Amino acid sequence: MNTMTENKYLVRPCTWIFLLLMGLTLVTWFIGLKQFSGLQVSLMVLGIALLKGQLIGDYFMDLRRVSGFWRWAVAIWLLLAGSLISYAFYISA
Amino acid sequence: MEKSKWPPGDLVIWIFIMAELLVFGIFFAAYAFTRANHIELFNTYQATLDQNAALLNTLALITSSYFVVRAVAAIKVDDSKKCFQWLLAALFMGLVFLVIKAIEYENHFSQGINLSTNTFYMFYLSLTFFHFLHVALGMVILVAVALKAHAGGYSAREHTGVETGASYWHMVDLLWMILFPLVYVMK
Repeated sequence: MNTMTENKYLVRPCTWIFLLLMGLTLVTWFIGLKQFSGLQVSLMVLGIALLKGQLIGDYFMDLRRVSGFWRWAVAIWLLLAGSLISYAFYISA
Repeated sequence: MEKSKWPPGDLVIWIFIMAELLVFGIFFAAYAFTRANHIELFNTYQATLDQNAALLNTLALITSSYFVVRAVAAIKVDDSKKCFQWLLAALFMGLVFLVIKAIEYENHFSQGINLSTNTFYMFYLSLTFFHFLHVALGMVILVAVALKAHAGGYSAREHTGVETGASYWHMVDLLWMILFPLVYVMK
């Protein structure tokens, strides 16, 4: 694989994802700093976390260039963990 | 874009990664369901945590993961030197994470907080320390990969070891992406 191909498929998109992850982290931190609370806020924060997880799986782990089960392995885990956490926060609201 | 049937790195690490994700997933669910029965306690003690330290740690891990991506990209074009340098940078950010977390622990312990202080701290300390150990193990793996890269042990044709170490390191990052909001922010 040559440098241009690696830049196109790995480095360039991952650099944008890196910046997006940093930005989303600041949003989460700001919500915590302002002590925002409640079910909707918690689910929004969790949604941001799940999105960040999916981006790490797709781009940093490079699973978007994989087919079959492994393409969705991280997504399935995020869905299961996210559903359980959401339900626990829902019943406690 | 060409698609592969298998994920990057050794398949064994992916089976290990799935097992680790399962264990942490159970821990996360246990935290959330226990919190449902002790909401006031969890909200009260969650407010005592250092959110700025957690922010710095999250930024450190994301940056470290990105540096590992750059290391993988470098070895794919046969640049061992750059691969080694990116791995060193990633290790430095991993060390930043461990130091900040250790300072947080020191602050807790100096206040007499431990696993038996209350249910919230039991979960907080055990979950974050379990993750802390995974960061430390990830760094040991990255050191081994970096040393081999420095010795010219990887090439554009054969770099499974770099991808294997990278996959584990990204998992450590992925887990923290859920752990940080769950323990420090969601209330």
